[in-house]
Amino acid sequence: MAREPFYTGLVVDKSLTQKYDFNPYYAHIESSLGDPIIIDGTAFINLAANNYLGLAADPRVARAIALAAGRYGASMCGTPIATGSMAILTRLEQRLATFAGVEAGIIFPSAYQANGAIFLSLAGPEDLIIIDHYAHASLIQGVRLAGCKIRPFLHNNMDHLRKVLSKTEMYRRVFVVTESVFSTEGSLAPCDEIIRLCTQFNAVPVIDDSHGIGVLGRSGRGVLEEKNVVNFEGIYTASLGKALANAGGFVGGRKAFIEYLKYSCPAFIYSTALPPPVLAGVEAVLDIIDAEFPALSEKMWRYKRMISQGLVASGFNVTDGSAPITSIMVRDLDDCARLAKMIHEANILVTPFVPPSVPVHENKIRLIAGANLSEGTVGRVLDVFQSIGRRMTAV
Amino acid sequence: MSLQDRVIRTIEKNLEGKERTTITPATDLRHDLGVDSFAMLIIINALEDEFSITIAEKDFIGIAHVADIVARLQQHYPDLKEP
Repeated sequence: MAREPFYTGLVVDKSLTQKYDFNPYYAHIESSLGDPIIIDGTAFINLAANNYLGLAADPRVARAIALAAGRYGASMCGTPIATGSMAILTRLEQRLATFAGVEAGIIFPSAYQANGAIFLSLAGPEDLIIIDHYAHASLIQGVRLAGCKIRPFLHNNMDHLRKVLSKTEMYRRVFVVTESVFSTEGSLAPCDEIIRLCTQFNAVPVIDDSHGIGVLGRSGRGVLEEKNVVNFEGIYTASLGKALANAGGFVGGRKAFIEYLKYSCPAFIYSTALPPPVLAGVEAVLDIIDAEFPALSEKMWRYKRMISQGLVASGFNVTDGSAPITSIMVRDLDDCARLAKMIHEANILVTPFVPPSVPVHENKIRLIAGANLSEGTVGRVLDVFQSIGRRMTAV
Repeated sequence: MSLQDRVIRTIEKNLEGKERTTITPATDLRHDLGVDSFAMLIIINALEDEFSITIAEKDFIGIAHVADIVARLQQHYPDLKEP
């Protein structure tokens, strides 16, 4: 095989970014996620990161990470099953399980890897996975890898889910997969209803709480606390890289399930454990949540309300999600690119979502204001959007 | 109701969103309706229920327009009767 045709065949369609001389992806950040952040030497307001509680640059977290690096070093240099499981790892796994409201848990290098891997160990050709149409790419990839029958259901549509569940007698195992918070629009899944339907039809609920852990619930423990779920009989996954401000993916559930995964899931068995300093960082964030969640949560939600209301007042069409996420909806792809560029030129970092990340004509620009921002910063954001709204109306 | 009308009605009932153009045989599933691979699966499953058939997903590869769905149904399930 000639190698050159292989490389010339690897084409990325950059026509839109070339047309507007602007690429919003892979911004070159030179600072921590403070306020402001520095991109290519310029100060920006960060509304892109999933840093809901604003703890990514918290000095207490950084200090805990540095101390752990001094005590444990950089790496386990191997997989827990083969080279040993550090006490800090097993301690955090149990702490996260208790925090989220499940019996036991394990930590993968990332939530994407966890979601992408667990179904391969649990489902086969004789099984069925029912999944919300708008579920995250990691879940979609995971269920596809399992090689079982897949039946998507209409987004958050419980009548449709019930209809699909009513025709599942021929399958050995049935799973219902959803996210607690859908991250591009901020909509919440009716997880209590989904769990109830799963119980009625003997299905196993699988809930990805990546955007819910540290955000939802009276004390920030996520969707199970939010929905008052006790003795959860399903599978729980969550990212440690959003509100928990570090990295990694948590999978929780009953002890038997976790024990099974530890000896059957190749992505877990053959992955090097997260570096100990990262585990210490998660512990530090959990300490802060335990002590300060009401105050952090109040700021997070206040900023969300300010931004949503400000955008509507400036003429933007925004999603009416119930999570601390606000997305501007832009039907036309070119309009979305133009708007994203105007926001960037005003030194605000946001996340544009275009197909295939979202359906055609459902382009979105997502804004998440972390609790580390000041009210003055959020006020400046609203001033910028008021100005952009006027310019767009004039055009 | 004709086969085509039943297909269109089934698609209408199995898409998210409220604002949408009128669906006709010429409607482009992806560009006009935003149908992705999972939405296509939802539509196929709904057609199975509507016509009480089992559809092999491979028979619906390469579908672009609503008319293609009608044609594939006629091709692979010739016994489908108008009610």
